[in-house]
Amino acid sequence: MIPTTKSVTPTLKTMRWCIAVAVMYIVLIFILPANNGTMHYYHLSAVGYRVVNVALALPTIAVWFAAFWGYAKLREYSSAIARSKEGPQFDGLASGCAWLAWSLPVTTLSAFLLNGLANKWPAFHNSAIIISNYFALILPLIAFITISLAARGMIGKSRLNMDLAGARMLMAIFLVGGLAYCFFIFRHLDLTSLASTHNPYFLPAWLMIISVIIPYLYAWFIGLLAAYEISLFSANVQGLLYRRALLYMVSGLVAVILSSVALQYISSVVPRNGNLLFDYRLLIILVVRIVGGVGFFVLAIGASRLKKIEEV
Amino acid sequence: MASSSNATIYDKVVRITHAYLGPAANRFIARQVKNHLHKRPGDLSPADLLSLIDWIRVAVSLLTEDSEVVERYIAELQKLAHSYGRQPGKN
Repeated sequence: MIPTTKSVTPTLKTMRWCIAVAVMYIVLIFILPANNGTMHYYHLSAVGYRVVNVALALPTIAVWFAAFWGYAKLREYSSAIARSKEGPQFDGLASGCAWLAWSLPVTTLSAFLLNGLANKWPAFHNSAIIISNYFALILPLIAFITISLAARGMIGKSRLNMDLAGARMLMAIFLVGGLAYCFFIFRHLDLTSLASTHNPYFLPAWLMIISVIIPYLYAWFIGLLAAYEISLFSANVQGLLYRRALLYMVSGLVAVILSSVALQYISSVVPRNGNLLFDYRLLIILVVRIVGGVGFFVLAIGASRLKKIEEV
Repeated sequence: MASSSNATIYDKVVRITHAYLGPAANRFIARQVKNHLHKRPGDLSPADLLSLIDWIRVAVSLLTEDSEVVERYIAELQKLAHSYGRQPGKN
């Protein structure tokens, strides 16, 4: 069947953006100055360094495609039910997913670009790390706030309440994760002087606490809360076939939120240094990214099934 | 939703559909009535029920391969049609 222009355009438009950022990434790999420290450490030539970077970029780009496809499908569904009672909530979810999807290339490309510039001008290194860390924080924070508002609206309209066991479990996970996060971060800080910037984040401890640690903890809390509330909504919504399709979408969304939280957690607990290191951190980050990509893929399947209900 | 004594045929069809399509039920039935019977949802009459059920069977079969669910849903709609004196093959 030949798809009509009307039904293809929004997703196609989104995928074009994804192709653009993917091409930009590959181009940057070839035009930005290579990291001499990494080349020397792994005995790589300039070409070898770039080939390794391309090899690492491929799974990342595949995840971006899944992410853009996922949010485009969710946007299509939310547009299809825009005038319905639940329309604004799904529109909010689609916007939150769009922020999360865009956060993937923006965070990667900005870090890559800034590190490339720091390789050329070493005096820029500290600023590059600071700016990269803030980029990694801000976009997912906006995404989680948007998703959380939509999730709250969903369970509010359905008159559902969080049960005590669920609230306790969520708080326990957050407390354990949050305390461990603070422990790992404070290990890197010079706590004898709150103004000292002799740490891998190149920020004084007081600024780290106010502008990085607290926003991260807030983002993770509302992210986990949103994941729980969306799951609660899908478990209680009526309609056997509707619930089955929604379950796909919600499972994908929960995987996306959890993988995003995990990525932020790992990236901030093990500080960036601008070098490419083939260690356990790189492997874990790749695995978590792929989990997020699969989440976006499942979300897209769910959104497509929900949209089909609105079309037949 | 209207109480069962005052409920129109359309309301009753939507109520049955709600168990399968949840929040999408009202939109789904309104679409079937408009697109296939070329009527406004409020104008649905007992004479339209069997034809509507046939269209619903086609549409729901596109949504799921679970024939057991489709048959259960259609059986509930046919029971409603029967309560209005409509039986398959006696249109």
